[in-house]
Amino acid sequence: MAEENKTKIEAPQGVNRLRVEHEKVVKGCEGQIQHWEKVKGDYEVLQDRLKTLPDKVSHDVMVPFGSLAFMPGKLVHTNEITVLLGDSWFAKCSAKQAQKLVEHRKKHVQSVLDDLQKTRNNFEARIGFTQDLENLSDSKGGLVDIREEVGGIEDIVSNGKRRVALKPHSKPKMEAIVKIEEEEEVGDRTRVLSEDELWARLDELEAQEELEEKLDRSDAADTNGNDEMTSSSEEEKNEGDRPDEIPKGMTLGPVNTCLVNGISQSTWEGGEEAEDVGDLLPTIHFVHTVEPKKVRINTGKNTMLKFSEMKEQKQHAKRKKNGNSNGHSHHGPNITSPMDIYRLFVDVKNGERVPRKSILKSRSRENSVCSDTSEGSAADFEERRMFGRTLSHDDNTYSDTSDGVTEEEGSPAGNQNQPTSRFQAFSDTVVEKEPLPLSVPHLTISPPALPTIPERKLEEVAPEAPQEAPKRVSKFKAARLQHK
Amino acid sequence: MAEAIQKKLQSELEKYQQMQKDVSKSMSARQKLEAQLTENNIVKEELDLLDSENTVYKLIGPVLVKQDLEEAKATVAKRLQYINGEIQRYETLLKDMEKKSDQHREVLSSLQQEYQKAQGRAVGKV
Repeated sequence: MAEENKTKIEAPQGVNRLRVEHEKVVKGCEGQIQHWEKVKGDYEVLQDRLKTLPDKVSHDVMVPFGSLAFMPGKLVHTNEITVLLGDSWFAKCSAKQAQKLVEHRKKHVQSVLDDLQKTRNNFEARIGFTQDLENLSDSKGGLVDIREEVGGIEDIVSNGKRRVALKPHSKPKMEAIVKIEEEEEVGDRTRVLSEDELWARLDELEAQEELEEKLDRSDAADTNGNDEMTSSSEEEKNEGDRPDEIPKGMTLGPVNTCLVNGISQSTWEGGEEAEDVGDLLPTIHFVHTVEPKKVRINTGKNTMLKFSEMKEQKQHAKRKKNGNSNGHSHHGPNITSPMDIYRLFVDVKNGERVPRKSILKSRSRENSVCSDTSEGSAADFEERRMFGRTLSHDDNTYSDTSDGVTEEEGSPAGNQNQPTSRFQAFSDTVVEKEPLPLSVPHLTISPPALPTIPERKLEEVAPEAPQEAPKRVSKFKAARLQHK
Repeated sequence: MAEAIQKKLQSELEKYQQMQKDVSKSMSARQKLEAQLTENNIVKEELDLLDSENTVYKLIGPVLVKQDLEEAKATVAKRLQYINGEIQRYETLLKDMEKKSDQHREVLSSLQQEYQKAQGRAVGKV
């Protein structure tokens, strides 16, 4: 169209000619239609005649005599009709048979008429289009082509990169994941994704999506937690993919630790998910370790987020304080999930959420939820227990592996529910309840959602198996200490 | 130089026009065949509507010759086949002609360009 505007002189001529040709075709069609309509009319008259002809044995008629005269005569053999079948073929038949033939011919004529009508309509439409085109090019008829030059804007705004809106539960970018792999300080960082792993990961991602959907469904109940999670989940998601693998009990042994750590960080999202996931799959990312981890995450905004659990806690605290930077409204003590309960009983020191120290004795602390002995927390605790069972081993193992890294956190373990503050329903207490055999063979890659909880745990835990049993308690305490 | 090109151009142009005529002839012949095809189809169907009781005549010159219904049907069927074959032959012929005419068109256009260049040079020289 723009070209037409610019080359006004040329285009209209071509368009004009096109329109003229179209009109010719339409006229031709119309002529033919008229012709065939006439034929059809003739046939109908003929049919009537054929009906009346056999009524009488002979009809008195005025026979044309030459071109100027008529002569009275008789029409005999009124039922014998010689029909021209076409192509110099004749057939003698009765009036009724002739009628049948006429009917058959009428059908043919009708079909021809229909085709002609179609083509005529087609070309009429084309004429309309060319007419519009002409009007447009001549900028008459009230049609205006609005154009806006788009130049240099892209250079200015996006620095050569497109901004993609991250949906709350969208999958993290692969590059982010890869970066996380590179930067993870725990365990084997140099994880190379082999083909199988990639396939496995794809499976996990799919499962994760399902989980996310479930999460969305449960949003009604966990709106608050979810809201907060979304922002963090986006960040976490970057590492979330890997953690997802773990639930499927997959991947590589050495990687598990990394994944586990990743998972712990993704507990934010896991917090809500865990509850749901618990319903779907026993595994869940929940593995959430108590130890805060330090990881550098490539967040969706192309910034590297140096992640450490403590930081995350701070961020969460800030977010909560600021009423959710995500834009979700954070109402006062709005409890929609066990985590919310936990949050209520968390002291904020120096911008960090520090779980209150349990008033119970050290030994029993393992079984207690944050100092709060309310029913809610107890219920949460039970809940966590269920999840924790599967994850407890993981936690222990993870904490083992992450010990070296997370030691710095040294968070007080007074409140085992600290992870819950980050949407981790998981608590350390659960660990003790579950005496899962750690000697189960470790399956590097298991189909997602297939293995039972214990199996999965075993898979994840297998590498850590030897360490788990003896260190269970100590790790637990260490985790607690880290939280302190 | 320009004149030589001009002559070439003209000869090519004539050839091209000839080709176009041939193409149009073939086209019209094919159209006729198509009309005959439809007609024979109608005849065949109408013959099917008739039964052997009534007589069938064939017009040969000024004479109506009696024909057997079955014979007539067979004749019409053969004629239909013949017409179909002719149509296909004409189709292939048309395709070849089209290709040739396209080639000629290209040659013509290239010659035209040369001619214009030569003319331009000639003008420049002059």
